[in-house]
Amino acid sequence: MREHEKNFLANEREHDQTMETPFLLEVKGLTKHFGGLAAVQKVSFEIRRGEIVSLIGPNGAGKTTIFNLISGVYGPDSGDILLDRQSLIGQRPFEVCQKGIGRTFQIMQPFPHMTVLENVVTSGLFGRVPKISMRQAEEEARELCQLVGLGDRQGAFPRNLTVADQKRIEIARALAVKPKLLLLDEVMSGLTPIETGEAIKLVLGLRDHGATIFLIEHVMKVVMGISDRVVVLHHGEKIAEGTTTEVANDSRVIEAYLGERIDEREEASC
Amino acid sequence: MDWPSFFQSLANGILIAGLYATVTLGLTLVLGVMGIVNFAHGELVMLGAYTTFWLFALLGIDPLLSLAMSGVLLFFIGIGIYRFTIRPILKDPPLNQLLLTLGISIFFQNLAMILWKTDSRSVITSYSGMSLHLGIVHIGFTRLITFLIAVLLTILLVLFLHKTRPGRAMQAVSENNTASWLIGINVQRTYLLAFGVASALAGASGALVSTVMYTFPMVGFKLSLKAFCILVLGGLGNIPGALFGSLILGLTESFVGTYVPEGSGWAEGISFILLIIILLIKPTGLAGTRRE
Amino acid sequence: MAAAILMIFYPKLVDSYFLHLTVATFLAMIMASSWDILARTGQVSVGQAGLFGIGAYTAALLFQKAHLHPVLGMLAGAVLAMIVAAGLGYLTLRLRGIYFSITTIAFAEALSVIWLMTPRVTGGAMGVSTPPLFGGNREQAYYLILMILALVIFTVWFIESSRLNFAFTAIRENEEVANVMGINPTRYKVLAFMISAFFTGFAGGFYSHYNTYIIPYEVFGLGISIACLVMPIFGGLYTIAGPIIGTILVKAIEEYLRVTFSYGHQIAYGLILVVVVLFMPEGLLGLWKRRILPLWGGVRP
Repeated sequence: MREHEKNFLANEREHDQTMETPFLLEVKGLTKHFGGLAAVQKVSFEIRRGEIVSLIGPNGAGKTTIFNLISGVYGPDSGDILLDRQSLIGQRPFEVCQKGIGRTFQIMQPFPHMTVLENVVTSGLFGRVPKISMRQAEEEARELCQLVGLGDRQGAFPRNLTVADQKRIEIARALAVKPKLLLLDEVMSGLTPIETGEAIKLVLGLRDHGATIFLIEHVMKVVMGISDRVVVLHHGEKIAEGTTTEVANDSRVIEAYLGERIDEREEASC
Repeated sequence: MDWPSFFQSLANGILIAGLYATVTLGLTLVLGVMGIVNFAHGELVMLGAYTTFWLFALLGIDPLLSLAMSGVLLFFIGIGIYRFTIRPILKDPPLNQLLLTLGISIFFQNLAMILWKTDSRSVITSYSGMSLHLGIVHIGFTRLITFLIAVLLTILLVLFLHKTRPGRAMQAVSENNTASWLIGINVQRTYLLAFGVASALAGASGALVSTVMYTFPMVGFKLSLKAFCILVLGGLGNIPGALFGSLILGLTESFVGTYVPEGSGWAEGISFILLIIILLIKPTGLAGTRRE
Repeated sequence: MAAAILMIFYPKLVDSYFLHLTVATFLAMIMASSWDILARTGQVSVGQAGLFGIGAYTAALLFQKAHLHPVLGMLAGAVLAMIVAAGLGYLTLRLRGIYFSITTIAFAEALSVIWLMTPRVTGGAMGVSTPPLFGGNREQAYYLILMILALVIFTVWFIESSRLNFAFTAIRENEEVANVMGINPTRYKVLAFMISAFFTGFAGGFYSHYNTYIIPYEVFGLGISIACLVMPIFGGLYTIAGPIIGTILVKAIEEYLRVTFSYGHQIAYGLILVVVVLFMPEGLLGLWKRRILPLWGGVRP
């Protein structure tokens, strides 16, 4: 990683860093119902600064709902979410973003009529507090595009790019807000083995420079390879939490994934 | 408390609600089945009203009998509109759908102005002035018949949706069109039929409109504003909600007309006020939504 | 540069009728461009007549009751329209797009009803008269409207080159994602609506004095709201030139039709909307860029 890349991460955010707690994110008793269905039930976990934590679970377990709750897209029915000891409940998505959370979307949603560069500039202009100038946003956006590997495609429009490139746009956009916490929603799915390797390198590099990363992933090889800790969700409830080894050997986790052997999932994702 | 006035207002409110309901049902059907807000629905009603008027003026056919003819005519006009303008944009963003149906609406409004001038027409039958006395309440004969026909049309629609195959197909499609397609329902044909039926309903309500109101090019526009208000009041794409909303609007207009000084003039603006209030309190409508 | 000089000397070059036509066209351009400003956030207003009418009546009534100078009256109209838009926008722009559009239609209609029901204050159905603007001097009227049009175009250019452009475009393309990226959608939508309202209100104020007579049916009428949107849509949305070109063409069509039909000439508007949505969603400018320019270049982009 190069020198300028350090600048994109939490360390440079201009505000007080409350160092009293090692926990960057605390989720307590989070519950959310849709209609009569409980999408998320009393989920609690913490994420420490500088960690890479993965959120896994079978389809429909509630993982993206958790992301939506954290980023303010939905409000929970009960429970609390604390970022640096400050509650995020009741904050609207743009406020949550400005407090330091950047996220990507599982179904890529770049702004179609903006170029790659413009997509990233947009986040930089509005997600950052205090606001930066257009020139600065553009400079940083260029560097970010380089960082994620889109340096030579900055002027392209998203619809002409590959899946992997569109995921890069998502990541660059999320980084542009200089987040304390980066939420990555299935950035590894649909990538070739080479692209997956590049993505892993990128994520690890981000962590090395102080980012805290929370990711939803299906590709088990990646999860086991890069996570410090893993949180497992099933039918909206947390069924396990711990290091990768602990979780891999947890009987409840294995049961939840019954019928979906771990190596089968790896093959499917290539 | 002046009970006679109260009950008279109540009666009038209910009677007009019947008309509003028939106007709104077609709009609700299209919204529920296809997810499109048809801004031109009012104009279909207007065309139905003019059809009835001309059949009456030129051929002497009683409006309440020519209702079926208006219905049939508008059914085919609706199918035509659907086939050539709506079907291509089914998957477009709502903005495009809005602009397209708005364009159709403007087209018909102005076409009516060109063909039939802007004068208001009335359908005066031999029984137009008659009224019945039910206790302390006077009910215009025409209004009563209109209301009864409105109720009949509503019942027919509900029976159609629940007891016939195409009707049940429409219900299925409005819930989930992918699942419907998977179980073999011809979604495209269902859309086409739904639009046709909705247009036929519009035509029939136009016939009713011509008997209790004036017929003029903008009558559809005025009614569609009320229909939108009802949609929002009652929850979108759902029939009981449309009936409920019609009742609320009809009663509110009637009571305002009676109890507020110069109320009959203000009553026209009621739909806007109600619309704003509901949108503020509960953006998804009072009775909940089946589909947004 | 040559165009600017032409614009300045224009009144000397043409006769009174054409000058009048030009003033009317410039007025329409102002309204078309203003509509486009809000459209950039993805919101379709079908009730610009409400704001136009507020501007018109503010200017006319302030002149009638307080003898306020016409241009000040127009400014007052613009400001009042802007304030009303702020309130209405704050309440309704937080809702899904189609609800907003429905509300704007109802808004203009409701104002019409209110005006008819309060004749003592507003003149009611009889309308309000004012003496001819600048004593009938069309040249001065021309320069005033030209200035305002220049201001509007400058405003749009300014928006396009500022960060507002990113905000508006992001909101328009994907409001939920824009929100998650730190953009407060309601704030920017309301801002766009207010800017749009200011110029539309001014246009209304100008119209009331220029036309010397206004009635609710006309200035709050659906026809004005429709005109405001057909012109930019026909020409090409989200551009500076689109609304301008669209206005010129639509006005030309309208003039031709008005001679034939006294009522109902807006039938063309309906047809234009349908044709544009079905066949040329990017308007004339889009058509030009995609189909005609490439013919000259020989190669499709």
